[in-house]
Parts: sequence; C-alpha cells; structure tokens
Amino acid sequence: MTLSFFSEVAHHPTTLWVSVGQGCYTHQLIQESGRFSLALLRRGQEDLARRCGTVSGREADKCAPLALYRSADDFLYLAGALACVSCRVRSAHPAGDHTLFVADLLSGEFDTRASLHPHLLTTDLV
Amino acid sequence: MRLPARTIWDARIQVVCAAVSARDREHEDVELWMCGNFGQASLDPPRIIINPNRLYPIDGVIRREGRFALSVFPASGREAALRLARVRRRTPEKARAAGLPLHFDEKHGIPWVGGTLRTLFCEVEQILDTGDHSLVIARLLEAREHSSHRGERPLLYREISGTPSRYPRLEKLVRNALIRTGALDALRKALLRRRGAPAADLPALTYREGGQTDQEMAQILRYGASDRSRLLRPPAAPAVLRRRVGVCVVGAGQWGSYHCQLFRQASPQVDLFVCGRNPDRTARLAHASGAQGYFLALDQALADPRVEAVSLALPHHLHAQAARQAAAARKHILVEKPIATKLEDADAMIAAAGQAGVLLMTAEDVHFRPAIREAALAIDRGDIGEPLYLNVHAGGVMRPEGWKADKERMGGGVLMDIGVHYVRALRLLLGEPDRVLATRAMQINTKISGDDSVQALFASRFGWQAHLLLNWAGPRGHAPDIVIAGDQGVLHLWPGAAYYDLYPAAPQPVTVALSYLRPRRLAERLMSPVWQRVRRRIADEDPRGYLSEVREFLAAVGEGRPPASPPGDARRDLEIVLCAYASLREESWTAIPPWERRRDEHDAARSHS
Repeated sequence: MTLSFFSEVAHHPTTLWVSVGQGCYTHQLIQESGRFSLALLRRGQEDLARRCGTVSGREADKCAPLALYRSADDFLYLAGALACVSCRVRSAHPAGDHTLFVADLLSGEFDTRASLHPHLLTTDLV
Repeated sequence: MRLPARTIWDARIQVVCAAVSARDREHEDVELWMCGNFGQASLDPPRIIINPNRLYPIDGVIRREGRFALSVFPASGREAALRLARVRRRTPEKARAAGLPLHFDEKHGIPWVGGTLRTLFCEVEQILDTGDHSLVIARLLEAREHSSHRGERPLLYREISGTPSRYPRLEKLVRNALIRTGALDALRKALLRRRGAPAADLPALTYREGGQTDQEMAQILRYGASDRSRLLRPPAAPAVLRRRVGVCVVGAGQWGSYHCQLFRQASPQVDLFVCGRNPDRTARLAHASGAQGYFLALDQALADPRVEAVSLALPHHLHAQAARQAAAARKHILVEKPIATKLEDADAMIAAAGQAGVLLMTAEDVHFRPAIREAALAIDRGDIGEPLYLNVHAGGVMRPEGWKADKERMGGGVLMDIGVHYVRALRLLLGEPDRVLATRAMQINTKISGDDSVQALFASRFGWQAHLLLNWAGPRGHAPDIVIAGDQGVLHLWPGAAYYDLYPAAPQPVTVALSYLRPRRLAERLMSPVWQRVRRRIADEDPRGYLSEVREFLAAVGEGRPPASPPGDARRDLEIVLCAYASLREESWTAIPPWERRRDEHDAARSHS
C-alpha cells in the first residue's frame, strides 16, 4: 500500500512508526506477520504511488507489476526507491481510524543517487 | 548504485522540516526544536505525531504544558531552519539565538514561528516512552496556512542534514555533478574493492552515532536539559549621547587621565571637569584634556551646578565614601571597578544612589568588549556545541606601587584587580558559577601585601567549569586571554583584538585536503592548526570596550534611564571574587550564594541586549 504517515521514533532502540488504516489489507498482513518493509518514493514515482494507494490488495495483486526484489534478510524491496528498510513490529497502538505500528529498523538500503531526487510528498499527488 | 543503510539517517525517513514551539511558563520562555520527523497518525480525528529527543528541553516543556505548535518551513526557509537546527541544545531563548520571529496565538495559548508555510496547533493526547525519544501523539486543534509562502514546497530534511558547509551551493553542485557523471559511484566501488564492505549493523551504528541508553541520558540530564546559569547578556550596541552633560573626573592619577581621554573621545557633548588633590597635576591634566575647569576637593566639584555626573577614578577603598557623597549631592556616578572592596560598601553605594534617584554604574569595560558580545552570540548559535570549559590567562609582569601595593586599600591583589573583569567575562559567556576553589603558587613580588598570582576554578551545577589564572608575577606571552571550549569547537579571544577565532571540531576544507596528501610525512609537515582556524573580524572601533562603557554611561545620564550594566552586576562580581578569597584562605571549595538580578535592573539591562 502507499503510506503517507510514517516517521522516525528513536535512535536507541532504532525504531520508526507507520500509521495504517485499520480497514486496509496491509494492516491485516502486518498484524499477522509482525514485519513489513518500507520503500521511500521519490518524485517521478507518482503513478506507482497512486496505483498502490487506490486499489486494495484484497482485490488485486499490487506487487506483480512492481520491480520488487528480496533483501538479504528476506524482505521485499522496491527497485528505484530512494531507500528501503526492513522492519519488525515492536508495538501497536490504536489511533482513531488508524493503528500506529512502532517497529525496529533491522536493516536497509539506499540509492547513492538519492540526493538528486526529492522525496515524493502527499501534496505532489493532489 | 545501492548501498546498505548504515544508520537511520541513510534510510531517508526524515522528510519535512518544521519548528516545534511550546510555551515554557515555568521559565517565562518559549522552547523551540527543529523537527525533521513528524507525521499525521490518523485522519479522523486528525492527529499529529512528533518524536522529541529526551535530551532536548522541548521534551520536558511539551510534557508539562501539553500543547505545542508545529510550523512547517518553506523550501526558501533553509537558512532559518539551519540556524534552528544548529542552535545550542541547552540554550534558553532559542528564538533569539536563531533569529526566528515568534508569535503568540491567544486562542490556543501557543507560540508559533513566523516565516513558515503553515502552522499546526496541537494538544497532547498521549506520550509513549519509546527509548531515547518520546513519541508524542497530539490532537490537531487547528491547521493554519500562511499566505506569505502559499504555493511553495516544504523544506526537505535532506537540505539541512550533513556537515555544515561554508559553500553549500558549490558543494551541492560538485556533489550532484559527481553523482550524475557516475564518478562518485566509481570511486565508491574502488574503495569497496580495496577496503571491503563496511559493517552495516543499522541499529548498532545508529546508536553509536546518535543514540543514548537510559543510563547515558540520566548521566547527561544530571546537569539539566537547559543551562539556565547565564543571567547576564552583553549589550547589543553602544549608546549615543544626545544632549550636553557636565562630567567631572575625580582622581588626577594615571587612570583619571585615561578617563578624561575617554570622555573626550566619547562625545563632543561632554563638558569635562577634573578633580584632584595635587594642584599642579590636576591643573596639568585639566589643561591637557581640554577641561572647562578643575577642582581641588570633591566637595567643590559636587557643589558646582555645571557638574551633572562624576567619574570616580580613585583608589578602591575610597569608592564607597566618594560615591555616597556624590549621591547625596544628587550627581550621577560612574565608579571604577571593583565597585568597592566590601559588600557592605557596595550595598551602601547602591542604596544611596537609589535613595537620591541618581544613576550608579561601574566602569566594567569587559561588559562592553565586542569580542565577548560576539562570542556569547556564537555560543548561543551552537558554534562550539555545549560549552564545557572557559580558560582565562591574564595579567603580565606588573610591579604595583602606592595604594595598589597595599591589600587593605586595594581590597586584595591581582585577584581583586583583574579578577572582577574576568569574573564578569565568565558570567557573560557561560553564566553564574556555584562554587569556587582558589589556590596560588609562591609570592614573587614581596613588595606588595596582596596576592601577585592566583588561580581559581569555578564550577556550575549546569555542568561547565572555568579556570582563571591571574598573574602579575611573570609574563603571559602571546596567547588568547579567554578560551572557551565546547564539544563542537573552541573560541579564542585576544585582548584588544577586533576579531576572535573559532576552531570548529568539523575538519575545514584545507585540513581535509591535506589529510589525503601522500606521502604521509608531507601531509604532517604541511598540516597546521591555522588551517582549522576561522578568524571572525568584528566591525567595532572600540575593541577593548572602554569607549562603549563611557558612552553607555553618558547616554543613560542623558536619557535619564538605568544603564545597560547596573550596579548590582558589579556587586555580584565583587561577591564572587570575595568567595574566591575565602576559598584561598580556607584552602577548600567555597559555595557562591545564588543570585538573581533585581527585577528593575533585569528589565533595564534586557532592553539593551
């Protein structure tokens, strides 16, 4: 899914948070597996963001058209993203219509050309 | 090319920059924090999340106050965001230090930062203790867009991250060119082949570079999240006299002569008089300084209606009596430092001036020394990180004679004479010390009854220390008189110099270039601390501060207002020096009483800083 709400939590333990709508298929998958990967999109990937943000994984296989590959620790990473990180859920906190997952950052990769590309912002999709 | 992320910063999850602001009612202050990590947690109801570092004062303030604002920087606000990001972590009044415009929203009772894209006013719902940062979940009270930057993109965190550069545009241009041409990747590949892949334990490396355990945080927070020890600030700029003022310099000795010279230089609006006991010397000085007249007794000077103010350049033990007489005659008073030799005398002088409604100011040039003003600003800006040590090495060979050789009339020796100056410098640069340990080597000059060399160690409960080495016994050589060392750099202040030096911890371009030079022996030969030096010139005609001190006195008299350096400050200098003398006698640490500026003096001095 395309996620707008995420950020850093702490440096020790090294954690981040993502906020996922409770009705989303991804929410169910994260709850079941306790792990997920996060791919940071850059400007120019608006179509990809829209595609993954408007269709539910229950209705279509959103992964099929994506250039995904497996990381060394067996997480799915997205080729062409600014960076990708592997996360393991540490705790979950209900937040209105969303759930806040606090997760450990296990490992990650970044594109050395990332500084040429700005982050894709939610406002870029409007 | 894709590389393993070694730290959380490689993961690029810090996206947009914002200034988080919260009202700190306990300290009548506004706490600020440059936040590169915030997000919306839910749409219905709208909630915002921030994650302040628990070492930062903003964490405690948000926990206490329960409200904050988040003002999003526009892309054009890079310089403002950088200033806030670099500002000293423990400094109070961050908006002033970072030069950010603050506004206060009455409706929500929350301060916010101007010049931003939009401001989100928030109320804390829940705080999760999640390690070395807190996770603050807040309800959105109002999102307000500011028209001045409408349509602009927000400032991305990557624009302000990394080592500060003196030439950011050039550096960015070169870096982007290297990336686009593939040169940087080729270099990386070559290095990887030669050195092997670096370890990529993301949590361990993140902790090593910027994480803290609970134990480490407790150790750091023992000294407080904020350093509130500094109560004095140097005045911003010398004042200007706007009407004629009649001043009589009392004392026709060497220092009285210097006072005459300063008043002459300070303003053409001064009607100068001289008062001394020695008729020949007084007449000569009056003639040489172009004075309008002279007096041979203080009573005569005080009785003359042309004399509106007196400048007391007298032996220390005479300050109190002369000041009380002047106050009784309703004359404004500039008194040489130290204000007196005893606290009771200083109190009597301040009380007499207060009762008579006249101005009393101590001639403390250090208060007006431009390098100290600029260094204080540099510390606030975060140029040296957290200041840890202040070192003073002052004095030089001096063989005092007359009253200066007599510790009763002098109030002591070198510690009293120049100690008050450097105690003031310490208070302006770091703050109020809590205890002192003074000690001394053998006496060299046995012709004086006071001390001819002393060293004093001052300590603050806020975690900094200061060492003053004051010495008339031997030469001091070519060295800065004040050194302030922090974790990110060190400042060197030179006596009488219209500049100061910063040696940042981050390597300067020449240092970096030389470090790559081979053979290594050549690099070592060419390497010099000078390459790390950033010399900052100060545009000020009065590098010592004497002229500014006199101008401020004249302007305060002219405007009928309290001076930027009120007498209570000088009394405090004396109190600290007397504590150092007590320590010297008792050969042990001595507690320095806590101090707070009188409210009226506080307000008056702040209006000038």
